Amino acid sequence: MTKATLSRRSALKAGVGGIAASVLAAPAVHGQPRVTLRCGFWDHWVPAGNGALRELCAAWGQRERVDVQVDFITSVGRQNELTIAAQAQSRSGHDILSFPTWQPAAYADQLVPVNDVMDRLIAKYGKVTAAAEYLAKRDGRWIAIPAVSGTQMKPSLGRIDLLKQHAGIDPREMWPAEDRVGPGAENWTWDTFLVAAEKCHAAGVPFGLPMSSFSDAVDWVGALFASFGASMLDAEGKPTVRGNQKLRAAVDYMVRLAKFLPNDVWAWDDASNNRAIQGGRSALIFNPPSAYAVARRDNMAGFDQYWTFPMPAGPEGRFTPYLPYFWGIWNFSRNIPQAKALLEFLSERESAEKQTSTSAGYDIPPFESMNDFAVWKTEGPPVGVVYNYPLRPHHNARTSVAFAPAPPEIAVQAYTQGLNTGLIARIAQGGMTVDQALAWAERELRNFARG
Amino acid sequence: MAPDGTAKAIPAAVAARPLGRSRGVSSLERLARRRSTIAFVMTLPLILVIAGLVAYPAAWAIYLSTLNRRMTANIGLDNYLFLIESESFRMIIWQSCFFAITAVLFKALIGFWLAHMLHTIPTRGQRKWRGMLLIPWVIPPALSTLGWWWMFDPSYSSINWLLTVVGFPPVPWLGQPWWARIAVIMVNVWYGAPFFMIMYLAALKSVPEQLYEAAAIDGATSWQRLWFITLPMMRNIIAITVLFSLIVTFANYDIVRVLTNGGPRDTTHLFATYAFQVGILSGNLPRGAAVSLFMLPILAIAAFFILRGVTRRAREMA
Amino acid sequence: MAEAAAANRDFPRLYGRVGSLHRERLWALRLSYASLIFAAIIFLAPPFYMLVTSIKTNAEMADQTLNPWIVRSPTLEHYAAILGNPVFLTFFKNSIIVTVVVVTVTMVISVLAAFALSRMRFWGSQTLATGVFLTYLVPDTLLFIPLYQIVGGLGLLNSIWGLVLVYPTLTVPFCTWIMIGYFASIPRELDEAALIDGATWPQMLMKIFIPVALPGIIAATIFAFTVSWAAFVYPTAFITRPDQMPLTIGIVSQLVRGDTFAWGQIMAGALIAALPPVVVYVFLMDYYIAGLTAGATKG
Repeated sequence: MTKATLSRRSALKAGVGGIAASVLAAPAVHGQPRVTLRCGFWDHWVPAGNGALRELCAAWGQRERVDVQVDFITSVGRQNELTIAAQAQSRSGHDILSFPTWQPAAYADQLVPVNDVMDRLIAKYGKVTAAAEYLAKRDGRWIAIPAVSGTQMKPSLGRIDLLKQHAGIDPREMWPAEDRVGPGAENWTWDTFLVAAEKCHAAGVPFGLPMSSFSDAVDWVGALFASFGASMLDAEGKPTVRGNQKLRAAVDYMVRLAKFLPNDVWAWDDASNNRAIQGGRSALIFNPPSAYAVARRDNMAGFDQYWTFPMPAGPEGRFTPYLPYFWGIWNFSRNIPQAKALLEFLSERESAEKQTSTSAGYDIPPFESMNDFAVWKTEGPPVGVVYNYPLRPHHNARTSVAFAPAPPEIAVQAYTQGLNTGLIARIAQGGMTVDQALAWAERELRNFARG
Repeated sequence: MAPDGTAKAIPAAVAARPLGRSRGVSSLERLARRRSTIAFVMTLPLILVIAGLVAYPAAWAIYLSTLNRRMTANIGLDNYLFLIESESFRMIIWQSCFFAITAVLFKALIGFWLAHMLHTIPTRGQRKWRGMLLIPWVIPPALSTLGWWWMFDPSYSSINWLLTVVGFPPVPWLGQPWWARIAVIMVNVWYGAPFFMIMYLAALKSVPEQLYEAAAIDGATSWQRLWFITLPMMRNIIAITVLFSLIVTFANYDIVRVLTNGGPRDTTHLFATYAFQVGILSGNLPRGAAVSLFMLPILAIAAFFILRGVTRRAREMA
Repeated sequence: MAEAAAANRDFPRLYGRVGSLHRERLWALRLSYASLIFAAIIFLAPPFYMLVTSIKTNAEMADQTLNPWIVRSPTLEHYAAILGNPVFLTFFKNSIIVTVVVVTVTMVISVLAAFALSRMRFWGSQTLATGVFLTYLVPDTLLFIPLYQIVGGLGLLNSIWGLVLVYPTLTVPFCTWIMIGYFASIPRELDEAALIDGATWPQMLMKIFIPVALPGIIAATIFAFTVSWAAFVYPTAFITRPDQMPLTIGIVSQLVRGDTFAWGQIMAGALIAALPPVVVYVFLMDYYIAGLTAGATKG
């Protein structure tokens, strides 16, 4: 009897205990609200590129039991900049957004400092490129994480057949898919570039170099200025236009080059140069591999004749236009710890490699130690088309961000309004003299400092 | 129309009211006054819309334009000074005026011409033609401009194809400043001329036939009839429509935004699109508000003349 | 005989036998038809070209040697693609919701206010009526920046309800103005008779004014519908989330990806989006035009 009573009582206790335990456990499994993390990433210009981020976020979300919603916002028509501005204004929107070049500095007050994440990543992988560090830090604190997806360079992208036929240049010979320079590489300067541009212009396949206020144009002209040692702003934001002989030399060169460009480059947006080379109307552009990736996907004529190779060198060195993207977390987000964890995951080597490999080598990881992914060796046809896309030691080149090292508040205005291309436009298209145009540039730059 | 029967500044067409209805008015008046609160309540939503969504934002815009970029401090008229000293903005002022005046001129001329042509053909056929010719106005401008954008595409322009067929060289429509400006004006004229046509047609119909016949008997040529009868009778309508279109064209946004987004290096920017670029895209709301407010003086002048014209017309008809 | 001569003189056009006038009339007719045909070609060319593009294959579009104005192998693939695209259908749904709500709200506000302003006198009714007209002249491009901030402060950026809030500024002034005109032209005898019969104001409104002024109400409704459907400035500024965009901004900003413009789809989408106003116009053309001309030339 006692045994039975005991067993029944204990059974009851066990039962109650079991029910209690399950009731207590229930919130842990069902009751805890699932965090929804909303990410607005840059819509990749390589058609398959979005897939990498989607898969990475889904995998991470499953592992961490976080609901990750991913949207892709295009940079065409500055839609991403518009979205950033609207979300900053209304203090609501995504948790994480992709910020191009100067935007993190512009919205620094509303971004969450991410020193903890960056310290861990730097400890693991070494330092990031100097330009990325400059743009992502405010008062010594990291306010955004240099992104893999979207970070790009814009070296030369040429058609081997057209360049050989009309300009007598074989880029594949000059810059082969190996860690060495080929014959003629030392002569790849702006002067030989000008001669080649003239020949291709005469042959009806002019170099497709935009001269508008969009980033493709501002970036490459910025790199050219840097290679002449010409800079329009100093580190304090004061205009260095007057009496600047190097700037004059760069401007004179640009005016001569502009004669051999298509007559509507002044209105080209970021897609026009892609279309020019894909349509066989241009022999060379300055672009990341997206133009090649689309040509290959759509089986356009001559897609196996594309070759990426470094920029021409100027009197003061070789500079490659660099457009870094950043992942930033809004400070009005309610899921900051999860956002940080996701971004740390996306910056790790395996994730970075996945992003770069899926995007045909387009995405350049910010960490210098990650410059050795396999995709750049294997992508093709022609195999090695993007071997020289990331910076390699034998290029003897450095990255350039237009209007650096000026303070971000002034640089962002000069960059958005395309002051360097505007300067050339006023001379080549607007009929101003060099002095008049330089005076105009100085006035505008001084105006920017007033904010 | 004011309830006491006189045709005042309320710009509505008025049916002629015979005078001397004092007995009826007074009983109505009594009722109206008793119901004045009801009347007020009935107009309350309208008052809220106007006060809350038009007057208040307009006043807020003026205040906003005196703030600095981060909207933390008041900098007085600095935004306006900055804009006036900016060469690009001065160009935009000039562009907007040029665009508005040229476009309205062409629209008025083409509209008047077509109205006259429509008026000449038998009435039965007029409806059909009128229907066809109003189509550009009916399609939302943002969407029809997409079609124009494709027609101006640098590589695949169908207009250039037609030009080359006739032997002219292809035109870099959106690539060069002046061609881009012409393109924007073309699209605006295409969109707005039907409106002028309809307005002028209605006005033409209201000119009494007897005047024309009397003139014909007296041996007037058609040109003389046009100059001495048609135009004077339509003078008020012409003025109202032109001024109204000036306001709308001046404040145009859709066409420029879709076609050129400000065009090669800001050469096709108007106040509205530039305000968008400066205010919303670049995140400097106060300066964007200042850009928009530059339109105010011109709008105010045009509005004054329209109001005067409409009042005159109402008096004409009463 | 004498009457015929008099008639001949007084109405030469009718009898048309007076030599020079007849010839002049014929030339005027020829000139008119020529101008109208020419104008029709130019006015209808862009929509026609949009239609042609929307049924071309991508390959045919890319071929620069062909005549772009004709189609050789028409296809409906672009229409299928765009109608099967959930993003586009969301745009359509957003446009419909916003338009229907705004038109309803507008007509309620306008009819009530016009009734009060045209029939009842109260302090400030004069100023208010003038104010309505002046409001119509204030362009939306003047207000969109302060409204951007105000709507943002209300948390309604990136929501179609933000649009519903501000669209009435575009429609209410003109609709009120039209309705005042139509209501004012209703003879006061009707009012008197109804009042004598003991009708209340709401009954007068519903049973007399609205039925009699129905053409004006239809015209105003059509105007409100067209303006709401075509509104572009406010959505461009307020909405950056694709799932909240109406058609006008959606097609312009979302169908372009990277360096590829899907022109066939863009044209197909634009035509589908332009369809509702055109359909309304085709079936209710007279009301449409009456609405347009109401403000200035009624009577």
